[in-house]
Amino acid sequence: MLTRISGGRVVDPTADRDGVGDVWIEDGRVVAPSDRAPDRTIDATGCVVMAGGVEVHSHIAGGNVVLSRLLLPELYASEAAPEGHPFAHAGGSAAWIGANYARMGYTVAVEPAMPPANALATQLELADIPLLDRGGLAVMGNDDQLLDLLRKREGGNAVRDLVALTVATSRALGVKCINAGGASAFKDGVLKLSLDDEIPVYGLSTRKIMGALLDAVEEIGVPHPLHVHCNNLGLPGADDSFVATLEAAEGRRIHFAHSQFYAYAAADPENPMTGGFRSAALRLNEAMARHPNATYDVGQVAFGQTVTISLDILRQFGGRKGAKPKKWILNAGDAEGGGVVPFLYRPRGPTSSLQWAIGLELMLTSPDLERTILTTDHPNGGPFTEYPRIIHWLMDKEARDREIATLPKVVGERSTLPAIERELTLLDVAKLTRSGPAKLLGLDDRGHLRPGARADVALYRDDRDRTAMFSRARLVLKDGAVIVEDGEIVDWRSGRTLELSVESDKAMEKRTDAYLSDRFGAGLESFAVPDAAFPTPETFQDVACR
Amino acid sequence: MAAWVKGGAADADAAIDAAAALLAQARMPVIAGLCAELSAIRAAYGLAGAIGASLDPIAGPSLYAELGSLSRSGAMGTTPAEAIGRADALFVVGNAPWDRPIVASLAEGGPTRGRAAGAERTILSLGGPRNGATRHVAYPAEPGGLAIAIAHLRACAKGHLADETAYHDLARRLFAAQYGVVLYAAEEVGEHGVEMLQGLIKDLNETTRFFSLPVSDPFQGRALLQLSAWTTGQAPRVGFGRGLPEHDPWRFDGARQVASGEADAALWLASLPAPRPDWLSRLPSIAIVGEGSADATADAAEIVIAVGVPGASAGGAIWDERRGAIAYIPASGHAAERDAAAVIEAIRDRINAGTLAEC
Repeated sequence: MLTRISGGRVVDPTADRDGVGDVWIEDGRVVAPSDRAPDRTIDATGCVVMAGGVEVHSHIAGGNVVLSRLLLPELYASEAAPEGHPFAHAGGSAAWIGANYARMGYTVAVEPAMPPANALATQLELADIPLLDRGGLAVMGNDDQLLDLLRKREGGNAVRDLVALTVATSRALGVKCINAGGASAFKDGVLKLSLDDEIPVYGLSTRKIMGALLDAVEEIGVPHPLHVHCNNLGLPGADDSFVATLEAAEGRRIHFAHSQFYAYAAADPENPMTGGFRSAALRLNEAMARHPNATYDVGQVAFGQTVTISLDILRQFGGRKGAKPKKWILNAGDAEGGGVVPFLYRPRGPTSSLQWAIGLELMLTSPDLERTILTTDHPNGGPFTEYPRIIHWLMDKEARDREIATLPKVVGERSTLPAIERELTLLDVAKLTRSGPAKLLGLDDRGHLRPGARADVALYRDDRDRTAMFSRARLVLKDGAVIVEDGEIVDWRSGRTLELSVESDKAMEKRTDAYLSDRFGAGLESFAVPDAAFPTPETFQDVACR
Repeated sequence: MAAWVKGGAADADAAIDAAAALLAQARMPVIAGLCAELSAIRAAYGLAGAIGASLDPIAGPSLYAELGSLSRSGAMGTTPAEAIGRADALFVVGNAPWDRPIVASLAEGGPTRGRAAGAERTILSLGGPRNGATRHVAYPAEPGGLAIAIAHLRACAKGHLADETAYHDLARRLFAAQYGVVLYAAEEVGEHGVEMLQGLIKDLNETTRFFSLPVSDPFQGRALLQLSAWTTGQAPRVGFGRGLPEHDPWRFDGARQVASGEADAALWLASLPAPRPDWLSRLPSIAIVGEGSADATADAAEIVIAVGVPGASAGGAIWDERRGAIAYIPASGHAAERDAAAVIEAIRDRINAGTLAEC
């Protein structure tokens, strides 16, 4: 069916396009303008037309997400579902996640922390998120098998083969390392770890582990660069960890997760742990300008109650006493472990206000918005449903100033946000939420509206109230089919789970099977994610290596 | 595929039609048991959402002993493989864990990974058997029960009691561990005991590493709990009578609902072995049970449908206790004609089709 989306303001930074025009789609793809009469015309007059939004870092599935629901059942409210999906109004459920992303015009979301030992459960949960295409990143960097290979100096090929096998077995879209070596060190009594500190027992460091993974990801040709969660998240002086890690990449492609939580310079360098922090957003962006090999997502903070979810057990253990309400879960799991710690970003509180300001400051002073991705690190900085309000502040200096006026003076004293005049344009927003994240994930047919793109399209009523505009899309098309009308779901279809198409080495399979059998009493097959476990055989879709 | 309707053998489609008719006429159906592969549990949640039923897993008592404490104070846990690989101290609380294979696995060797690698593994017990086959240092429980004993132990560990009871000695041994693991069965220890035990573990972690390892219930509760959380945002028990999932362990207790007359139909799902409750015979009911099981008989319920058994005549994602994770197991033999998910989905399709008015 040939469809013409007519007369909207088409915003696509990849084509340098921002003007009134048409978008044509056929058979689930964007096509060149046609001379044929369309079978369907969608009147987009008064609307902004963008590619579907792409989420690169949101904790939407996995064991710790499950535990967060059990620890804090009061976080989300369930509402009566008048029609449609029976679970979509169940607060925090998979269906709720899919519906709320779709309403905002998002069509892809990636869970960034899938422990390979728990891949099947995570993938089953991801598959139950409707409406979106989704994917998961396999987490490595604390597992004994990898660390033992590195300790024995087995060389890059062995690491490459183990990484490829892990990605293939867990059906991941990419690879992430989280405070590499940190979980292992925590289990051995360590409470603080920096880039070159020794990991007990193994004699390694975060630098060595991360470097090996950076090489492996490049050799395999994983489109998404290694997704890195650095040491010392959230601590004064974390900016040093960020910059040191960036330098340690030595020009290799690297993606930094939730950089806002690292943009904290020690306010008192003589007493870094007691003097609080000031913004290091400018320092991070200056470093990013010098390193075109790097990207980051933001991890913007939103005021209010949330729950932090992280496989960084070292950090979560350190933060447990700041839990609000005062309850928390820590799991010393197979390899990674993790923690679930409720947290309140106190409205108008000095610390949370400064964190809020730093996230916006990062985006507004970014040297390259296509290497800067809007996230809240859901739910760690706040829920992803805050995106429209964040975009509003980014696009509207007046709205931003109104908010700043309600906040403590520390925002002006320890960040440059109040002095920033920049207002992002719709093209900028498309970079932050569409073209940038799609490029980052290596999804060539998403994040833009050029011929050949998947027909994932969002239409928004152009409104100065950007919160209203981006909260409820006028229309969302997924693969050419309308799934949202006026912010309501009209077609509860299922998307696909994106997996990297990667070959694994037979010798490493055999070796890993023996290792797993010895350690878990079950071999490689027990860690598999077979099609047969899923409700439909079409659950997964291949993404090619570079 | 064997099936029976009102005691007589029936073909599968007729049994599915009859089951759909029974549920379609019900005002407050209960779906219970839920001891099955995840695809079947998922289908059961979908059916419950469609017809406004409530769900009550047989694993409930074990889950609730853990969940109450979890939502009030949290937990610190580890996995079986981490315990076997790293623990230099195993602390077994109560009697129930001693029957589990993990005790033998832990008793037969010491830690091989982490800072305690090569050390001897100490096995300590509280309120467990004094003369078991496994060599261990046994401490008796208080007369008041395990929860009181754990509270006493925690008070000793915190230095809140000045007496010199054996629990002081036990506390010293726990603090001496480099990587300790507490093995317990939540149902036996009880909700308050679990909460006190987790408090003790948090205290121990002020100076060392110590984690809990509750033994799994045998009825797929751990797998079901995950699916329930991602499907409804909440733990079971849950009801859909008002068009949204409502978690309420008291209200949606199947036995209570039947005894009070609230429930007027039941579907029992147990493709894996689980004891069928007495109350199932007190109301119109359907049993979807594993083929060849003791319950795959004409008198198990008004309508009985035998289905593939995960790992034997069907594939399925189920809880793997040794791994402490959900894993897929393929059918080891000839695949059954239908698995439980297919049957439940067929029932739901029949109800949705609305062709049952004259049944």
